[in-house]
Amino acid sequence: MGTAVVLTSWLEPLLCLAGLLLIVRAKQLREYRYFAALLAVRLLSDAVLETLLYRHKFLHLTVKQFYVLYFYGYWTSDAIEAILGFFMILSIFRLAMAPLPGLEKLGMIMFRWAGTISVALAITIGFGPHVTSNSFITRSVMQLQQTQSVLTLCMLLFVCFAIHPMGLSYRSRIFGVSLGLGVMATTDLVTAAWLAHSPNMLSISSVIGGISICLTLTIWGVYFALPEPERRMIMLPTTSPFFQWNRISEVLGDAPGYVAIGEVTLDMFAPAELEVMRRASNKMDTPLSA
Amino acid sequence: MKNLFRAFALSLVVTGAYASTHTNDATKPATHAKVSALPIPQCPPGDPNGCNVCAFTQCVVN
Repeated sequence: MGTAVVLTSWLEPLLCLAGLLLIVRAKQLREYRYFAALLAVRLLSDAVLETLLYRHKFLHLTVKQFYVLYFYGYWTSDAIEAILGFFMILSIFRLAMAPLPGLEKLGMIMFRWAGTISVALAITIGFGPHVTSNSFITRSVMQLQQTQSVLTLCMLLFVCFAIHPMGLSYRSRIFGVSLGLGVMATTDLVTAAWLAHSPNMLSISSVIGGISICLTLTIWGVYFALPEPERRMIMLPTTSPFFQWNRISEVLGDAPGYVAIGEVTLDMFAPAELEVMRRASNKMDTPLSA
Repeated sequence: MKNLFRAFALSLVVTGAYASTHTNDATKPATHAKVSALPIPQCPPGDPNGCNVCAFTQCVVN
């Protein structure tokens, strides 16, 4: 079991680096900037934490010093990854919904609300009975990761079943990235549930986590290594709910027009407005009486 | 192929949804693991044994 943990923990940063290089090679760093940032943070945190784990003897650290650095390094990187995960879901959603700007606008409003509520919930849950500053960190990060996992799975479901109206295919990188995120999110929820009932299974959860992250990084690597098919032109029937809702959503939030209600007298208008109306009236077949 | 992808995505969602119903238990301490092979530091930072994070990774402790 120890060998599997060591093997996957060394394989993970290598796959992260390969993923980053493949994004750069595909010239999609701008579109997938949060994804690249997530890989970079993982790569950096893995490098630092693994150096601490396997090489701390050479850094002349005591167990206590080592553990303090490891604790804060682990949970800080986890919190940064959770926040980047939110932005990553957001960017994938925007990329997927690019042909339907109205629905994208509507989705973004909903997503921002969901994200804000998730953060507020994570902080609130962090303040429980008998909570110390350290357990506050772990509880808040845990809650943030779990809400992010739930949101990820919702997005995977949406991308998977609404792939055709968005002009995408299952070979699209948008789907590949969502699929990888889905595998990560499911593993996160399953290991959290498992650990809640059997905390002594930490070693097995490390093996599962290691295999899962390597599988996720491999999925991402394959999708970015293979050429992506062109996005299809979308032909939607006029009765399609996607089309209808997109049209409705496009006008949401626009500045409204105003209508004068009740009696309107001439002294309510500016002289210039009256002049324009007089000239327009003169052009009519039967000019309006003053 | 399409159905295969859909079935896989659906299985991930169902598994995740089922697992999330078993996660929150107020009577137990909060437990969470980053999706990674790295050991989870569950103890407070002042733990003299370093929370035994080295138990499964064969790391060398001074």
